[in-house]
Amino acid sequence: MKIIEALNLVYNYIRTDENDKVVESTRALDGVNVSIESGDFVCVLGHNGSGKSTLAKLINGLNLPSEGTVLVSSKDTRNEQDLWDIRKETGMVFQNPDNQIIASVVEEDVGFGPENIGIPTEEIWNRVNTALEAVGMTAYRKKSPNRLSGGQKQRVAIAGTMAMIPKTIVLDEPTAMLDPTGRAEVIRTIKELNKTQGVTIILITHYMEETVDADRIIVMDQGKIVMDGTPKEVFKNVEELKAIRMDVPEVTELAWKLQKAGMPVPDSILTREELVECLQKCLPKQVDFEPNFVKRKPLHIDITDPVIRVRHLDHVYQKGTAMESYALKDVSFDVQRGSIVGFIGHTGSGKSTLTQHLNGLLKATEGVIEVNFRDNADLIKTGKNSKNVYKGSGSNSNVKNNHKNSGYEGEKDGANADTLKGTALNDSIESGQGTGFINIYDTNFNMKQLRFKIGLVFQYPEYQLFEVDVITDVMFGPKNQGLSEDEARKRAEEALKMVGLDSKFWKKSPFELSGGQKRRVAIAGVLAMHPEVLILDEPTAGLDPAGRDDLFKQIRELHDKVGMTIILVSHSMDDVARYTDQVIVLDHGVLKMTGTPEEIFKRYQELESMGLGAPQMTYLIHDLKDVGIRFEDRPDTVSEMADCIIDLWKRYNKSVKSNKIDASGKEAN
Amino acid sequence: MIREITLGQYYPVDSVIHRLDPRVKLLGTLVFLVALFVVDSWTMYGVAAVVLGILIKLSNVPLKFMTKGLKNILILLLISVSFNLFLTPGEPIFQLGILKISKEGLTIALKMGIRLILLVMGSSLMTLTTTPNQLTDGMEKGLRAFKKIGVPVHEISMMMSIALRFIPILIEETDKIMKAQQARGADFESGNIIQRAKAMVPILVPLFIGAFRRANDLAMAMEARCYRGGEGRTKMKPLKYEARDGIAYFLMFLYFAGAVGSRFVPLV
Repeated sequence: MKIIEALNLVYNYIRTDENDKVVESTRALDGVNVSIESGDFVCVLGHNGSGKSTLAKLINGLNLPSEGTVLVSSKDTRNEQDLWDIRKETGMVFQNPDNQIIASVVEEDVGFGPENIGIPTEEIWNRVNTALEAVGMTAYRKKSPNRLSGGQKQRVAIAGTMAMIPKTIVLDEPTAMLDPTGRAEVIRTIKELNKTQGVTIILITHYMEETVDADRIIVMDQGKIVMDGTPKEVFKNVEELKAIRMDVPEVTELAWKLQKAGMPVPDSILTREELVECLQKCLPKQVDFEPNFVKRKPLHIDITDPVIRVRHLDHVYQKGTAMESYALKDVSFDVQRGSIVGFIGHTGSGKSTLTQHLNGLLKATEGVIEVNFRDNADLIKTGKNSKNVYKGSGSNSNVKNNHKNSGYEGEKDGANADTLKGTALNDSIESGQGTGFINIYDTNFNMKQLRFKIGLVFQYPEYQLFEVDVITDVMFGPKNQGLSEDEARKRAEEALKMVGLDSKFWKKSPFELSGGQKRRVAIAGVLAMHPEVLILDEPTAGLDPAGRDDLFKQIRELHDKVGMTIILVSHSMDDVARYTDQVIVLDHGVLKMTGTPEEIFKRYQELESMGLGAPQMTYLIHDLKDVGIRFEDRPDTVSEMADCIIDLWKRYNKSVKSNKIDASGKEAN
Repeated sequence: MIREITLGQYYPVDSVIHRLDPRVKLLGTLVFLVALFVVDSWTMYGVAAVVLGILIKLSNVPLKFMTKGLKNILILLLISVSFNLFLTPGEPIFQLGILKISKEGLTIALKMGIRLILLVMGSSLMTLTTTPNQLTDGMEKGLRAFKKIGVPVHEISMMMSIALRFIPILIEETDKIMKAQQARGADFESGNIIQRAKAMVPILVPLFIGAFRRANDLAMAMEARCYRGGEGRTKMKPLKYEARDGIAYFLMFLYFAGAVGSRFVPLV
């Protein structure tokens, strides 16, 4: 039965000036025809701005189509008297969990919808109970939403729509702002509702992994539906999807690469199990064939030239009271100069607290942070004890020679280092080694200068953008450093170039930019202060796959060209595996592991027990190992994995052939 | 620091006070406050303190939670107390240069201090034991009479409850924005008053833009859940007086009568 039908939908966003004259008209939907069957689980994919959210709002009657018709259970959304019935039938869950919870107690929020449609009190209670039960939030019914995690808040929001007894729930990127645990929680809940209660689900998302179990996937691009079918049918078109800036699940991409190389792999493999089963048939079981494969990154790095050294760091809230709690406990680690370091841990593990210590926004209760920059001069306040630079203990003495020879540095691609040569930033970073360790908690240490040396970019660019145009905003930091207007402008232009923001945006208001562009401006705003270390807190949260890749490419380039030390705080194990040299794992404020991604992800079971996980490829390697196909080197990106498997397969085939020739030769003799 | 503001926050435990009808609590708070300004004797302050103590005990809200709210008005308290202390003319009992403390000043300052503390704790007891929704429901129903003369009672109470819900969120957001700007070298602590006011711009702009975005999202979420004003709405937790509310009204009346009566009885 068709529950939702859209006929020739067109929707224009119209901007008018004060006199109601149309200034700009953007076509968000352009002739969309779609019908959705009752009880289906439908995913809508598309990059930011492809029209998927607009479609969602039209279904619920929040917006009315400019042309065409939307029918919900054969009721037209244009008919005002039907509008409330339509909204009752189609619940909506939005992206930001905070901005859709109205009441201050969970159960009262769930009851908000039924109250609005005039349900009698007793019935409201029944509905609230059932709805909370359905999303598994009964235990939290008396709690304040502010005390819930993101995933729990979204489940409350889902319960709020369930209490209206809807036929359909439209979820507009409900997991975009959540961590992996919260994401899994929400997806599990909606799958459950779909299965047990028969609610039709329309899930708009960026995460390809969430769509694998769907009944149907609709792909949108530029306001049109470009693909429509089962996951198998849609993910067959890897190339077409990439062309419209979309991703496919990693396993699918790997299978596609193998297939392209000529391996007997069927179309659109969606799960690891399928891939393992297929690889079992065409790869050798024994370890006779070591894949001939060179890893991009070293298996282990020794930290020879730390730029930051953290020792026994504690951060305690309300020390000495009954409420005493440790945000950080006895954390010690080093950050190698010029490396990319990943901080991972679930929400509340202390990652953000730790990064805020590194640039002095928070002060440790106990412990020492020492920094060793190439230019330490400004870090000591001039005054009585100004010569208090103290020598690091031990490892500092051999810093000078080791730095350039460390295996990691050797792999730097010399060829890209030219574009930015000669800029001030480049000079300041390339020239010289560290000049000695300074404890940032020394009395004469200049904390404000530290913030310029260790730049911190927060998760949401919206928290820092405030100026009239992009360039002035980026100049804010340099001006705080005491630079002149001209100097600051030069720095800002240089930084904006570095993050790859086209100069046509420089005079625009930062609020008119897209999510990815805003993030670039935010990063430029910190880069313009010429930091030696750059900390990025979840830089890609909320971006679509293409935006994510673009931004990481830029960060990688920044690192390769300028040799900047980068600390990346992330939830995504795949990103960490792909981009970092060293990983620090935090759990409940305690540093649990440190090492190369290689060393960390080997211990994926421990990571899982902390509510984390490992990259998809790590899991695949283990699944293959279980069936007897071993890899000694551990590739951690899709293309490395593909190279590795293809190489193994080719050599295996060759040996099978030569064995056959041998065998036939012998027979002939 | 900034996150520890407890005013207007609900403390979720179960107690007699929590279960009282919000209208009772609203009127009760009003009566308690008015009575504080009616009485003017140490005995009655003692009585008020004891009554408040019993109510806090009954509410199961830890005393520590209540006193935390006091910290925020500490400065206000100190200023008003010291104004009264030093500027009240009368019989001097202590003098240091131009600073002079009179006996009357001391009495007034102490009374003022006690009044303020009781006042803040009394009203925070109400907000700590009443969810914003109940509170606004109470107002909506309690002030129903005003609707007839065109006061949009439902809308006002809805606005209040949403404001209360978003206060902690916006406070946290302010904290994050401040840190993000500090990370770019912004300085909120030094400089004269004009420089400091200017330093607020990088905080206020993102905060306001964020608030507008939230308001927009929230309006859409409410509409999607069929909100269309107060007409035709039912209540999940309709206000119904129970026996305990009657008792509470009675006790309230006694207390107020006692407070007024105490004016006519010579007490210390």
